[in-house]
Amino acid sequence: MEGSIVAIAAGLAIGLAAIGPGIGQGIAAAGAMEGMARQPEASGTIRTSMFIALAFMESLTIYGLLIAFMLLGKF
Amino acid sequence: MHEGGAIFYIGSFGVTSIMTTMAGITIILLLVCLKATKKLRTVEGADIETPTGLQNAMEWLVEFLDKFLADIMGNAKVARKYFPLMATLFIFILISNYSGLLPRAGHLPGLAAPTSSLSVTVALSVTVFISTFAFGFKEHGIKYILHFFKPVAFLFPLMLIDELIRPVSLSLRLYGNIYGEEMIGQQFFQMFPLFLPLPMQFLSLLMGLIQALVFMILTSVYISEAVIDEHE
Repeated sequence: MEGSIVAIAAGLAIGLAAIGPGIGQGIAAAGAMEGMARQPEASGTIRTSMFIALAFMESLTIYGLLIAFMLLGKF
Repeated sequence: MHEGGAIFYIGSFGVTSIMTTMAGITIILLLVCLKATKKLRTVEGADIETPTGLQNAMEWLVEFLDKFLADIMGNAKVARKYFPLMATLFIFILISNYSGLLPRAGHLPGLAAPTSSLSVTVALSVTVFISTFAFGFKEHGIKYILHFFKPVAFLFPLMLIDELIRPVSLSLRLYGNIYGEEMIGQQFFQMFPLFLPLPMQFLSLLMGLIQALVFMILTSVYISEAVIDEHE
């Protein structure tokens, strides 16, 4: 019984952790693409900054993934 | 794919397949570098000899990384000074990520992507963490500590947490991405081994490059933050 609850918790941990960063990354990528379309000559700089921003957002999901692994390791 | 047990022992010291893969990658990189620089063709000679073959390819890679890092750090001289650390990290992580895409990687004893193990990524990010401090102290002397009290002194705890969380997020990002990607590939392969894993493999190819690039970019950002003084 406890094992199944832990499994649900692990699923929720990664699922919920993916929502916020997903929305945030969408907004960031949309902004970067708009900038690139307006100013194609600045696309190199914009792409680099976009990668940095996406990496910071992505780390939140990775924390969720880590918690999910830790929960799964409990049983 | 799995952290797994040791495949053989030297005394009481267990050697895992991740360690053998890392040693293999190091040897391959070393051999490639030796071969590329064996007969250096330079432009300085009497008759102009342009680089060809492997040397040309390696020069392209190094020049690309050099320009890229100079762009990010905004200072070509500083970027050139710390180029070896950052470029080495990039090349090693890239090859490590791609080694997980080899057939049967993670199942074959002696072959597993090193970056899919938390120990390896923590080692890499701790190297970055320590070298950031070392470069900062080397550049500014003991005054480097003052940079934690800028712009306002009472932000010191926040600055300290910001500094300490960096190796954690740096290592977890690389580990989580590569490990997750390998797990998804494995699950797809178990579901339907023909054609279904292909899109994921393609995505892994892209992911491996992006994660290696992100690791290098963040390293360069941290180093330039420690070394370059904006208030000069």
